[in-house]
Amino acid sequence: MPKVKLNGKEIEVKPGTMLIDAFKQAGEDIAHYCYHPGLPTAGVCRLCMVEIEGNPRMQIACNTVVTEGMSARNNSDKVKEAVRWGLNFHLINHPLDCPICDQAGECGLQDQYMKFGKYTPEMSEQKVKKRKVVSLGERVVLDSERCILCSRCVRFTSEITKTNELGIFNRGDHAEIGTFEDKPLNNNYSMNTVDICPVGALTSKDFRFRQRVWYLKDASSICTGCSTGCKIRVYYNEEGLFRIKPEHNPEVNGYWMCDKGRDIYKHVNPEARLQEARWGQVGNWQVKDIAEALREAGEAIRASVRDSHHSKVALVLTGQQTLEELTAAVKFFLSDLNSRDIYHWINNPEEMEKFDGLLFRGDRNPNTKGLLSLLASEKVSATWAQLEGKLNSHEIETLMVVGPEDPGVFPDLAAKLKLFAKAKRLVWLSSARVAAVDQVTTATWQIPLKSFFEKDGTLVNAQGRKQTLRKIATLIPAAVSVDQAVAVMSGREKAVPMGKFELNWKKTNFFVGERGSL
Amino acid sequence: MFELSREGIEFVKKEMTRYETKRSAVIPCLFRVQKENGGWVSPESIAYLAQLMDVPERWVQEVATFYTMFNKQPVGKYHVQVCCNISCAMAGGREMTDKICQSLGVEEGAVSKDRRYTVSRVECLGSCGTAPMMQVNDDYYENLSADKAVKILRELE
Ligand code: SF4
Ligand code: SF4
Ligand code: FES
Ligand code: FES
Repeated sequence: MPKVKLNGKEIEVKPGTMLIDAFKQAGEDIAHYCYHPGLPTAGVCRLCMVEIEGNPRMQIACNTVVTEGMSARNNSDKVKEAVRWGLNFHLINHPLDCPICDQAGECGLQDQYMKFGKYTPEMSEQKVKKRKVVSLGERVVLDSERCILCSRCVRFTSEITKTNELGIFNRGDHAEIGTFEDKPLNNNYSMNTVDICPVGALTSKDFRFRQRVWYLKDASSICTGCSTGCKIRVYYNEEGLFRIKPEHNPEVNGYWMCDKGRDIYKHVNPEARLQEARWGQVGNWQVKDIAEALREAGEAIRASVRDSHHSKVALVLTGQQTLEELTAAVKFFLSDLNSRDIYHWINNPEEMEKFDGLLFRGDRNPNTKGLLSLLASEKVSATWAQLEGKLNSHEIETLMVVGPEDPGVFPDLAAKLKLFAKAKRLVWLSSARVAAVDQVTTATWQIPLKSFFEKDGTLVNAQGRKQTLRKIATLIPAAVSVDQAVAVMSGREKAVPMGKFELNWKKTNFFVGERGSL
Repeated sequence: MFELSREGIEFVKKEMTRYETKRSAVIPCLFRVQKENGGWVSPESIAYLAQLMDVPERWVQEVATFYTMFNKQPVGKYHVQVCCNISCAMAGGREMTDKICQSLGVEEGAVSKDRRYTVSRVECLGSCGTAPMMQVNDDYYENLSADKAVKILRELE
C-alpha cells in the first residue's frame, strides 16, 4: 500500500487512489467542483490544485494517481493563489444572484468564496447574459448564467442513466448547458443532477423557494418508495418535511436515488395524514380516542372468533410496514386468535418483478421481502382468491387491514375497498387519509398509523438486506405503530403511549451568532 | 425530412470505422451533412445524422455548436467568409466586408433576397500573407481589393 505525505501528514492509501481522495482520507480540505466520487473524472474546474514534490508545476489532484512516497501539499501560498484565481475565473460571468438563488446556503461558490474570494472585484467588463429560468423537464430548472460548466450533470446523464439528454453547447464564454432542441430532461433520475450541481444552475421545481436551506434540519432514513430501499436524508423543520436527497450507501444505492423516491415526504406531512381514530361509515363518522377505538376494534375481532366454530376473521397485510409491525400483527392472529386467515395484498401484480436496471423497482413496497419471509416462516399459505371467496360469501365478520402508507402506489385501492366492505366490520389501519375509505359502506374503525419518519423498525429490501429505520420525530400525536395497536387490540395493554408533536425544529438563523456586530 | 444521398450514407458508414471511436467521426460526417443540406446544419439534419450513426443527438449538437465552420442558420448559394483578423484587417478586410455587403445588397450574416449570397466576417483563415482574402464555399480568393472581390462574386455562376 503506497504511503503518501499530504500537507505533512503521512497516510497509507489503496494502490490506484486518486490524490484528491487521499486528501479527503487524510481529512485535509481540498477545493473542488467537477470532481464527484460517483462520476468519471473530468478535470475541468482546476480548483483542486496541489503542489507535488519534485514537480515544477502544480497539478490537479482529481486526475493524479498517487505513487509510493508521493509528497503533496495544498496549503502553500502558491496553491492558494492558484485556487483564488481559478475561483475568480469561475466568477467572471457569474451573476450576483445569491439573494434570489435557491442554492444559497449550500453553494460551492459561496463556500469557496469565504476562503478564497478576492472580496474586491476587479472585473469591469459586462457579464455575458445567458438563459435563465429554463424548464428542463418536469422537475428541474436551469439557470445558465449560474453554471460553472463543471460538467457533472452531463457526465451523470451520459454515464449513470446513459440517457444523454444534457450537453454543453457553444464555446468559450458562450458555452451553455442544455438539451438538444430543448427536449425535456424527464428520466426518473433527473433530480440527482440538482444534487450534484455545485451551484444554483440546476434547481428543483418541487423545492425551489419553499425554504431557505439553513432553516432545515436533516436526518438519515430509508426510502420507502420501492423495494430497493435507498439510503436517504430527509430535510424538515417545524412547518413539515420539505425534501429528500440520497445518502451514500455503496451496498444499495451508491450516491443516487430516483425521482419517484423524492416524493415520499409528501404522504408523511400532516395534511396527507389520518389525524385521529374514527368510527362509522359513509356519511357518518365519529372521532374517537385512539385507545378506545383500538379496544373496541380488538373486542370486535375477538368476539368474531369467540362466537363461532370456524374463523370469521381475516388479516390483510401489505409490504408497507416494518418487519416488527408485521410480525406483531401475524402473531396476534396466529397465537391470540388461533386464525391462519392472513393474506398478502399485492398492490400492483404486473409491476412487482420489474426493475429498471439502476435502482427503481416496480414493487413499490419497502418490505415485501420481509413480509414474504415472515409468512413463509409461519407457514401461512392462504391465497388472495380464498379471501375473495370468503368475502363474497359474507363469511368474514371482522376484517383487519393494515393498509398503505402511500396510497399513491395502490392503483387498486378503490376496488379493494369495495371488496373489503363485504365484511360486516372493517378495522382499517393506515397512516394516510384516504378519501375512498370515508366512502365505505360497512362499519369501520380507522386507526391512524405512524409513517416511516416516526418509528423504529426493520425493512428488508429486494436484495434481502435488513435495513434499520430510525424514528426522527412525531407528527401525528394519535398515530400508533401496528405493534402498539395490536397490544391494545389483543387486550394485553389498556392504553397506547400517546405521542407528542415533535417536529419542533425552529426556523432560526443559526448564522446569526457568527456574523459579528456593527 | 432531410436524408443523405446513397453515397453520403456510404461515406458516413466508412468514416465510422475509420477511428477508434464513433465520436471522432462526427466532424467529417457532419460536414457531409452540411454539404448535402445546402450549406447549413439544421436541427433536423443533426437528429438524422445522430440516428444514422447511432449516437446521442447531443454529441452531434455539441460539435455543431462548437465549431463556427458549421452554419446553424441557412446560408446563400455562395457563403462568403471575409477574414477580418489582424493581417486582413490591416489590409482593409473590414472595409472590404462592408463594401461587399453594400454592393450585393445583403446584410451581414443574412441571406440575400435572391438566395445567392451570405456574407460573414470570420477570424484568420491562415492566408495572412495574401491579405485581404475571402473564402467562397470551399475556395480561397486572395490579394483582393473590394472591387475585385465584388467582381468575382458577381461573376460566379
Ligand atoms: S449545470 Fe451545474 S452540474 Fe451542470 S455543468 Fe453547470 S454547474 Fe456543473
Ligand atoms: S429507487 Fe426506490 S428506494 Fe431508491 S429513491 Fe427511488 S423509490 Fe426510493
Ligand atoms: S476537481 Fe479537479 S479539476 Fe475540478
Ligand atoms: S488574418 Fe486574414 S488570413 Fe490570417
